[in-house]
Amino acid sequence: MKIDFGVYIHIPFCKQKCFYCDFPSFAGREKYIDDYLNSLHHEMELGAERIAEKGKLTPHTIYIGGGTPSHLNLSQMEMLFKSIHANMQVKNVAEFTMEANPCTIDEEKLHLMKDNGVNRVSIGVQSFDNGCLKRIGRVHTGEMAIEKVSMAQRAGFDNISIDLMYGLPGQSIDILKESLDKAVALGVQHISIYGLQLEEGTVLAKQQELHKLELPADEAVEEMYDYLVEYLPAHGFNRYEISNYALEEYHSRHNTLYWQDVPYLGFGSGAHSYWQGNRYENPVTIGDYIEAVSKDKFLHIMEESVSERAHMEEFCFLGLRMTSGINKRKFREIFNKDINEVFGKVIDKMVAKALLGESETAIFLTPLGMKYGNVVFGEFILE
Amino acid sequence: MDTKRIRNFSIIAHIDHGKSTIADRLIEYTGTLSKREMENQVLDNMDLERERGITIKAQTVRLDYKGKDGEMYCLNLIDTPGHVDFTYEVSRSLAACEGALLIVDAAQGVEAQTLANVYMALEHDLEIIPVINKIDLPSADPDRVKQEIEDVIGLDASEAILASAKTGEGIEDILDAIVERIPAPSGEMDKPLSALIFDSYFDSYKGAIAHIRIMDGVLKKGMGLKMMATGKVFDATEIGCFRPQTTELQEMGPGSVGYLAGSLKQVRDVRVGDTVTLAEGGVAEPLPGYRGVTPMVYCGLYPVDSADYDNLKDALEKLQLNDAALVFEPETSVALGFGYRCGFLGLLHMDVIQERLEREYNLKLITTAPSVIYHVYKTDGEMVKVDNPSDLPDPTTIDHIEEPFVKATVIVPKDFVGAVMEISQNKRGEFKSMDYLDVNRVMVIYHIPLSEIIYDYFDKLKSSTRGYASLDYELADYQAAKLVKLDILMNGEAVDALSTIVHMDNAASRGRSLAAKLKTIIPQQMFEIPIQAAIGNKIIARENVRALRKDVLAKCYGGDISRKRKLLEKQKEGKKRMKAVGRVEVPQEAFMAILNID
Repeated sequence: MKIDFGVYIHIPFCKQKCFYCDFPSFAGREKYIDDYLNSLHHEMELGAERIAEKGKLTPHTIYIGGGTPSHLNLSQMEMLFKSIHANMQVKNVAEFTMEANPCTIDEEKLHLMKDNGVNRVSIGVQSFDNGCLKRIGRVHTGEMAIEKVSMAQRAGFDNISIDLMYGLPGQSIDILKESLDKAVALGVQHISIYGLQLEEGTVLAKQQELHKLELPADEAVEEMYDYLVEYLPAHGFNRYEISNYALEEYHSRHNTLYWQDVPYLGFGSGAHSYWQGNRYENPVTIGDYIEAVSKDKFLHIMEESVSERAHMEEFCFLGLRMTSGINKRKFREIFNKDINEVFGKVIDKMVAKALLGESETAIFLTPLGMKYGNVVFGEFILE
Repeated sequence: MDTKRIRNFSIIAHIDHGKSTIADRLIEYTGTLSKREMENQVLDNMDLERERGITIKAQTVRLDYKGKDGEMYCLNLIDTPGHVDFTYEVSRSLAACEGALLIVDAAQGVEAQTLANVYMALEHDLEIIPVINKIDLPSADPDRVKQEIEDVIGLDASEAILASAKTGEGIEDILDAIVERIPAPSGEMDKPLSALIFDSYFDSYKGAIAHIRIMDGVLKKGMGLKMMATGKVFDATEIGCFRPQTTELQEMGPGSVGYLAGSLKQVRDVRVGDTVTLAEGGVAEPLPGYRGVTPMVYCGLYPVDSADYDNLKDALEKLQLNDAALVFEPETSVALGFGYRCGFLGLLHMDVIQERLEREYNLKLITTAPSVIYHVYKTDGEMVKVDNPSDLPDPTTIDHIEEPFVKATVIVPKDFVGAVMEISQNKRGEFKSMDYLDVNRVMVIYHIPLSEIIYDYFDKLKSSTRGYASLDYELADYQAAKLVKLDILMNGEAVDALSTIVHMDNAASRGRSLAAKLKTIIPQQMFEIPIQAAIGNKIIARENVRALRKDVLAKCYGGDISRKRKLLEKQKEGKKRMKAVGRVEVPQEAFMAILNID
């Protein structure tokens, strides 16, 4: 039986670490890139050997994320693509995304990507306001972002996503409005927009501790949220997930896998896998990762074997991220139980608070529920 | 056993001065248990006790030791609980002894609690053998400590034994001193039986078991017996001694220490301090010193999940089987629903019970702030005892209120006397006396409301004396004070479980601090929550918990579900401790907030 699954490939290198970022990515480690790519190659070989039926992995989607994949130079990028093609069947992939930073992307790289089957580019724009960009440690300007998006379009990409953020230091509602206007004018197909969160260990968190960070008030951030959830759909970008908006059918196939209980394999340092009901995490530091792969480790560190209960909980709190919500029939198919049997009490409570809606076929967040997603998700963690 | 060859003794020590390790070494040295059988600190066998390094339940053990004269002696070590909450239990244990080891840390010197217990031992005419422990420490200064024992306690310390429970040094000297210096018991075989109960515990097979010391007469298995305070009549189905596990005996003569089991279903039948005598032809007068246990501190215990109400009741009943000092009765709170009002000997006792309920019975509880017992005199002349602020009668019917005061003894290095006085003054304490114990250390005595002690007196004392202060207190009397009820309104509605009784002079500032503190404790919710502090109808403080504007998890990056899950689990864990009061989710901490506001 052919199993649908996604592949995630992590490139942990960055020109500079963004001030809000607590993902496993590192600046100033360029000298390890070649070794790292060798390890990635070997890890993919191991994956193909151990999992693939006909010599090559046959993923439904591929996603190269980071870090900054576009931080690789041309020959390094070529090496990466060679490894991918050597170990995966790319031809029939439904979606092949690569993340890029406006600062490190150029025509040659875009053409190389295109030639190697990449059919979707996700560009980290975050804001078009140079003041905001500077305050969060981005190395590019708003103008550069606009230029690189059109460069990607000229290179033939017709499925482009940009990332935006709101609630940034020094950001006002007007600054956000301007960024949104510019975003919808770009002619991209997909917009992800995230509220800033201060994560432990980041530059912003440190600034906050030292009282050197001026964040917009909660009320202002709420105003931004209320504005953007109206604005984007009014401009044709349908909200299909809490933070994701797309024209017509341009929703991200790969990210949708995470929310819909589909298996995925993660390659590279800090990458996560969900395979045969278990969750795995690769070593986070580049050195540990390289060492582990040299010992032929694949699906490195088993994080947890997902129990049926945890599986049900995750099915729900991930599924609810999608505006279409949890498919009741699918729940029954997987768990052989009616969702109300397990979560009836929670669902009733959340429906009473107008955070959840329920139809014949689905359970979904209401607009209010979208705003207080965590409150709802938390309820789906059983005792 | 020949009464002449019995020695009954206790160990008196401050927390951490090494009582349990000395006891361990004595048990080991006499071969009562082999090293292999020894768990570290045999005597403190409750998990909680070991974690906290204190003794809650006293233990007893019989040691057989061959003295220098070549005779075998039976040494009964009667361990005492080591905390101010259990003073009465300590006094009963001491009453069962003829002597005591006074363990003083060679580096720390004499502490307030040590002092209180030594005085109690002296009241019981015990022969006290000073032991200076931890002499292996680099900071040990046995000469200074000897001097302190002489100056402060007035004991001759010239024959103090230098010991180290760690290295085993001095252990044999201690055993010899027990044989040679502590007098043999003076009971008479021919008199009718009288035995003192100094502790009790509950065994699920044998029922309530008394720890006893035979004062006069002989106890034989099968005898018909009577508890003099309760009048309970029963048969001695089993008697024996502790080595340290129970070892059955057929009879026990004067001076013997051991246990007694009868058909006693609950520990309340076996009261500490009571006298056991013959059912027929027993002694006319009980042994002196019996006192019923009286709780000093009350609080409400409510299950977070109201479905646990019956489980809480079962758990309290089970704990009560083994703890006669625990009292409880059903209580209803508008805010918290159905729960129990529970009385405790003190704060530690309260903490221990709460923790055992949660650990051993797996209950999630909301505990309300502890309260003392107020004597409320009404205008019609009636006096009512109030241990729950929300039960305070209508202010117009109150003539005056009296609250319990304690005599608080604090020992600190002289540099901190100013700090102690400032704190005590702020806590409405009345200065009584100050004495230099030695060139460096001072004993300060204050007359101070118990309610202030249970607030944050000791924490404050500790933090402003860099941990050097030691405190001991005992109930002194009841005195009138200008007290009022401080109410907290949340979302416009009074939350009964947050009411407290405070002194009028600091009511306003307490109200303001409490409202401000609650603001930091109550998590933002989907709507704004006004918090008000009120005295009567007068609002004295107001704060707002702002509405949570939104609460969305950022992206689920690269399929890292475990991390999202952990965040949600953490959120859920926090919620477990929350109780819905009206629409507001209130964390457990809120109900204790009054204890640490300033």
